[in-house]
Amino acid sequence: MKELVEYIARALADKPDQVEVKETAAESITIIEIRMAPEDAGKIIGREGRMINSIRAIVKAAAAKQNKKVTVEVITDDKIG
Amino acid sequence: MKKVQMKGRTVDDAVRAAVEVLGGEKEKAKIKVLNEGKLGMLGVIGGEEAEVEVSLSEGLAEDARQILQEILDKMGFVTMVDVALKEGVVDLNIKGEDMGRIIGKEGSTLKSLQTILCPILGRISGERVRVSLNADGYQEKRNKALERLAKDVADEVVEIGKEKVLPPMPAADRRILHLALQNDPKVSSYSKGEGDERRLVVAPRT
Repeated sequence: MKELVEYIARALADKPDQVEVKETAAESITIIEIRMAPEDAGKIIGREGRMINSIRAIVKAAAAKQNKKVTVEVITDDKIG
Repeated sequence: MKKVQMKGRTVDDAVRAAVEVLGGEKEKAKIKVLNEGKLGMLGVIGGEEAEVEVSLSEGLAEDARQILQEILDKMGFVTMVDVALKEGVVDLNIKGEDMGRIIGKEGSTLKSLQTILCPILGRISGERVRVSLNADGYQEKRNKALERLAKDVADEVVEIGKEKVLPPMPAADRRILHLALQNDPKVSSYSKGEGDERRLVVAPRT
């Protein structure tokens, strides 16, 4: 699931090298965190969260096939997200 | 998108070799320098080879097909993506297993894939790209279902003689309903509300 998020986030970013994706698996849920260059936050989140919500829907569909629950969060230093 | 990594004595050498392997023009290639390289003593001892990654677009349609295929593969779905360029719209069609999951509830997953593909392709082509995503005839089936809904609502409105407000719907769905009703002599349609709350209203013609 990490590769999926990484691929999409890098494709959306101006600075793909600075996109970092971390996957933490707890018992019943997997948490995926995306970090990126500050100027790319808007690209990955999108207007009114359109992009990040689309990424979440895509991940959810993929996770459902494996009976998994995955949440995707964008980590920003400021309050854009 | 064809991609290759290549080493050479200098960055220029590596790029030239990579472009040759890909069989394209250097002007159209996207170059990423992985290692600048160092010339060693006398150009031999202790030097480090330069390394580059060169990618070459195979046209917007083919790039779009490959990107969507890559995403579906990473989602763990076994699919085949076809592409056609129709009147400037990149028209992608998905076939395969798990179509229900790929489409999602009321087409939501399909819509999400379309939402992320637009800016990704826009970046590659340098201009606004219109993408249409279809899952093995799903959109046509959905349009037919919406047209049937339009007709049912129109009949009801004529019968009760009062206007009827439908649940909130996305613009694309409302458009299908408007088109289906535009030539109906007995009813007319309009939209009201804002954003996610925008609804279609079917009213009797007076």
